[in-house]
Amino acid sequence: MEIRPWLRTMKARALVRIWSQFGEPLWIVVNMGFPVFSSVALALLYRSAGLSSFTGFAILGGVMVSFWGNVLWSMASQFNWDKQEGLFEIYLASPASITAILIGMSLGGIIGTAPSAVIVAGLGWVLFHPPVSASLPALVLTFALTLSSLYAMGMTLSSLYLAYGREAESLNEALQEPVSMLSGVYFPSVGQLSPFPAIIQLAASLIPLTIGMDALRRTLFFSQGLESVWPDLVALAAMSCILLYAASWSLKALENKGRRDGTLTVRIR
Amino acid sequence: MSSVRSVVAAVWVGLYHDIAWTTPVAGLAVRTVAPLASVMTASIIYWLGSTVSGSFDPYRLAYVLVGATLYAHVAAYAWVPTVAIAEGKNLAVFPHIYIAPRSSSVYLAGRTLAAFLVSTTTSVIALASSFFVLGYLFGTSIPLRVSPESCAMLAAALVTNVPASLGLGYVLGAYSLYASKFEWALPSYVAGLLMVFSGALFPPSTLPWPLSSASAALPFTQFIDAARQALIYGSASAFLVSLSYSTAGGAVFLAVGLLLYRASERRARRDGVIDRRLA
Repeated sequence: MEIRPWLRTMKARALVRIWSQFGEPLWIVVNMGFPVFSSVALALLYRSAGLSSFTGFAILGGVMVSFWGNVLWSMASQFNWDKQEGLFEIYLASPASITAILIGMSLGGIIGTAPSAVIVAGLGWVLFHPPVSASLPALVLTFALTLSSLYAMGMTLSSLYLAYGREAESLNEALQEPVSMLSGVYFPSVGQLSPFPAIIQLAASLIPLTIGMDALRRTLFFSQGLESVWPDLVALAAMSCILLYAASWSLKALENKGRRDGTLTVRIR
Repeated sequence: MSSVRSVVAAVWVGLYHDIAWTTPVAGLAVRTVAPLASVMTASIIYWLGSTVSGSFDPYRLAYVLVGATLYAHVAAYAWVPTVAIAEGKNLAVFPHIYIAPRSSSVYLAGRTLAAFLVSTTTSVIALASSFFVLGYLFGTSIPLRVSPESCAMLAAALVTNVPASLGLGYVLGAYSLYASKFEWALPSYVAGLLMVFSGALFPPSTLPWPLSSASAALPFTQFIDAARQALIYGSASAFLVSLSYSTAGGAVFLAVGLLLYRASERRARRDGVIDRRLA
């Protein structure tokens, strides 16, 4: 595999997404709507339950929900929509690497979602002043690895969604909230404070967002450094690699199946 | 009479759209998991916060449980007119509805009623499931009153809230007729606003004035309060007061929504924007 065409493909796909997001400022307003209101509502719930010091959990949750929403609606569903628009078959016919397209899409998605996430965080901090005790290097590394594993999961889902037709949107709607709950986006779903039994915690730990949220809370609010969260970081890095490989493999398998069955260009079924 | 037939036909279309894309059981299950997860998230946050701060109160847990279920219920069907218009434009269905002799508001009412039926079913399943699951997880008994009287009161509250939700739907629909981008994002804003301002998770008095007064005056807040009176506190007089406020507010919402929508529809016909898909 040549590296230059691969990098150019990735850059091209990332730029399309970045331009589309920043060329239309309304996108930022659109993206931040639900995360802002849900984090404010849940922070007020923490406060009314008598635990103002945990309002930061709700705000961090709002930030990560912005990215999780982007993964579901702009990564997982994207190839399905591209197929309906007739773009996916052009991807396949071109010599461009599909993995490069997926990674470019992820980078563009992360950069495009960042302003909404920053606004959610800023607004939350201004309104609630949650106590923060961050270990900065560990926090930055945890955040980067959480996003990489989360978007790798989006890439895997995008290939799986190709196998579905219009059911993909219903699946997305069904997945968004349960995954947020199991991953502990707004409350710890693993560890001492979790309400779930061990078996559920174990199952939830298979979702990269669960490991990432737990490590983010520990580094941001409890000043735990790399010496404490390194197992989580190793797990996140391993999940990123496995999911990336799974995405590439399943896309190839689906492409081959589509060619054999003649369904590669079937747009709506 | 033909308006009733049109509404019934639209209800049928809505039911097919919402759950008949797969088997009815799978369709309902897919629509139930999201409210169930949402209700459990809010309840777990209350449990965590109150347990750590040492102020846990089972009645307050029931308050959050009922509020979270009903906010999700309203959010699930109030935005149907927006989606019906946006999706209808995109799939070229809406122009056909639009040129029919009836106002498209009849079609939207039918679609909303279909979503109300589906959402009522999924909300009741979500409430019952979370009642048992959370009771087991937290090792506590959640004080919900379940009797023929309380169920009848809840049913009355649910039905009373339909005009308010339909009115909100018409207001959003009036905008959607003209919008051809990002109108699909409105539902998430509506859901988020309801989460904060409908008293679903915490008393409206928690909010700073004048937001607290505005929140308390919303028909959705009164509807959720009436449902809480039915399922938790059992006060018939407080129930009737909330129900009356909810009914009156719903009538105002519906009248304003319908007026706005009809005006927007007339203008949209004149301006020829019904099949405009891109801005």
